[in-house]
Amino acid sequence: MSLADAALGLIMVGLSAYLLFGGADFGAGLWHLLSRRRTDQEVIEHAMGPIWEANHVWLIFVMVMTWTAFPPIFADVMSAHWIPLSLAALGIVARGSTFVFSKADPDQRWYPWVFGVSSAVTPYCLGAVAAVVATGGTTWWSGTGLYGGVLTTALCAYLAAVYLIWDARRLADEDASLRFRGYALVSGSVAGLLALPGAAALGVRSPLILLSAAAGLVSLVLLVRRAYLSVRVTGGLAVVAVLWGAAEMAGLDLDAAAAHDAVLQAVFVALGVGAVILVPSMAWLYVLFQRGPEPPARPAPEPRPSRH
Amino acid sequence: MSTAALLTGAAHGAASPADFMAARQQMAFTLGFHIVLASIGVGLPALTLLAEWRSLRTGDAVHAELARRWMKAAGVLFAVGAVSGTVLSFEMGTLWPNFMDKYGQVFGTAFALEGIAFFIEAIFMGIYLYGWDRLSPRAHFLTGVPVVIAGLLSASFVLTVNSWMNQPRGFKLVDGKVTDVDPLAAMFNPATPVQAVHLILASLMVCGFLVASVYAVGLLRDRKAGRDDRYNRVGFAIPFSLGAVCAPLQVIVGDWAVRFVADNQPAKFAAMEGVEHTRAGQPFRFAVFEIPNALSLMLKFDAHATLRGMDAVPVGDRPPAEVVKTSFEIMIALGMALLALAAWWALAWWLRRRGRALDLPWRPWFLRAAALTGVMAVVAMEAGWTTTEVGRQPWIVYGVMRTEEAINPNPGLRYGLYIVLVVYAVLAAATVSVLRRMRHRPEPAVPAAAPAAPEKETAR
Repeated sequence: MSLADAALGLIMVGLSAYLLFGGADFGAGLWHLLSRRRTDQEVIEHAMGPIWEANHVWLIFVMVMTWTAFPPIFADVMSAHWIPLSLAALGIVARGSTFVFSKADPDQRWYPWVFGVSSAVTPYCLGAVAAVVATGGTTWWSGTGLYGGVLTTALCAYLAAVYLIWDARRLADEDASLRFRGYALVSGSVAGLLALPGAAALGVRSPLILLSAAAGLVSLVLLVRRAYLSVRVTGGLAVVAVLWGAAEMAGLDLDAAAAHDAVLQAVFVALGVGAVILVPSMAWLYVLFQRGPEPPARPAPEPRPSRH
Repeated sequence: MSTAALLTGAAHGAASPADFMAARQQMAFTLGFHIVLASIGVGLPALTLLAEWRSLRTGDAVHAELARRWMKAAGVLFAVGAVSGTVLSFEMGTLWPNFMDKYGQVFGTAFALEGIAFFIEAIFMGIYLYGWDRLSPRAHFLTGVPVVIAGLLSASFVLTVNSWMNQPRGFKLVDGKVTDVDPLAAMFNPATPVQAVHLILASLMVCGFLVASVYAVGLLRDRKAGRDDRYNRVGFAIPFSLGAVCAPLQVIVGDWAVRFVADNQPAKFAAMEGVEHTRAGQPFRFAVFEIPNALSLMLKFDAHATLRGMDAVPVGDRPPAEVVKTSFEIMIALGMALLALAAWWALAWWLRRRGRALDLPWRPWFLRAAALTGVMAVVAMEAGWTTTEVGRQPWIVYGVMRTEEAINPNPGLRYGLYIVLVVYAVLAAATVSVLRRMRHRPEPAVPAAAPAAPEKETAR
């Protein structure tokens, strides 16, 4: 295996993680918008990251890896699709900031709206670009782009609903949990109905489609049977297999684009050293975060001093 | 241009001059925005730790409350800084694809390291925020230390890339293709030490003076209302002292930076100092003043030394001298004003410690001036940033690649600028509004601490 292959592998790992975790965050934002029930919204707010949207780290990782390891591909994709990608970047700004703002200032009504809308716009734009790159198309403003955008948004919504069933049980009540199960069943069926005919229309001939379809069907069964933790695995697999299938389709000339070996070696060493520090730190944060689901000693709401 | 072409963003050739200028302005604006948040991201955790350290040693409730409030504000600002930083990574590709295509691999390692440092900072920020009531006080304090260290490291790694753009090293160009890449040589280019130290001091000054400004306003209100609020006094003293310590150091580092530029980027230096003609015994010009031979004397310790002027630079390689000179002068003037206020603060403290003039640090004229230091420090930092960035023009990579060559050729970039301006204006307004809200929200009393000063309740 060449160093370029290893770099590609890391980029795929990063993209998969971004889809599985960041994608679920987007989907959670979408459900936050669609479900006007306060219980559901509270579950979503608690289930998402502690301070900010840490999962965007995966996206930054993918971008840095791509411009370092395959600079011409980064340049081509970013310049050709600058409009949807700029919209996605602004969507990330809007989401990330309104997420913390609405926690710090819950009275402001428009923060949740912006949060919800940008949660749909961002995966749509990213998915449209991904579909166009995978199929060798030219613009997001095409049937393929539209399809990729809608499909990605649906996949994110599905993932979020699947993950939130268990969170709702942990943080709220059985009713909320059942509602998210309903959302998961609906969005999972929609995503499956979008993915399979789409793959056929785009001429995808990959065993990954069968894998995705099988995992999706198993997930629906598990949802019906209320196996909420196992469905997280099969649901994630069904979604991420779509990404892998798309990557397989993309005819990118990686060897011609690859950076020099000295660069790749330096990056791998940096990542290795980083992982040694990052993994235990993250584990500690996770343990601490799980220790109490409720923020401790939240003060009773006091009358705010009059503002002038 | 047709609507369809705008919507798809398809290229028809080179970027138009309007799009080129818009791309530069968008980069400058978004970076200028991010740099303020990044400064706070570096400085505010440090201030928080100072306050928490004092509260651990003395059990003082005021210090504990300040630490809590500062870290909460740091959490919000960190989130905004994280997303405004993400935008910059997008812009590297959407605005300057040819720069990334050709040189992305040369400086990519620095960004990988920056990403790691940033992630560590984020994780420990989470541990620190969530661990407040779940860890022992000492352990909690220690979890804040990696936040500060990782913040400093991540700022330094990013800075190595900008230094590299000024002093490109670690690669060879063979037939226009990049070969023999040495990532470490690129990272540790000659400009890295001076730029990193200069920027880190600047960011600590920005954060210190900004936070101090907030409490200076509070102290002025207290004064008007005839109150004496220790919360505001401590809240002012810690950050203002941080800024005041950095101010004189920054003058020394600034001097180092000017000498470095004079030796390594003569066009930038000529623009900064307004030197038009190469000659012996250059005068020092500042605003409307002119001192004969002084520039030569200051730079070379020889009143008759020859310094290169703009006429030594080919016409096509000259930066816009007026912008560079004006922004450089603004930075110097504001830096000196901050230094003077820092000196007064030091003198006032010294006299107070000796038991004289106890009211000296809290004179109204000083508080009024101190209330402006936050804005002054931000403007000084932006002016310095403008000096180094515009002074490097017309190059994106000094002497190697012109900014024009780096631009995305697709049409319509200027519309991107307009949208970004609107979004960031709303973002800035919302951030300020949220912070003001947080300031007015009562904080839960710190358990097991000495009773808070009673007058504090009425103060806010």
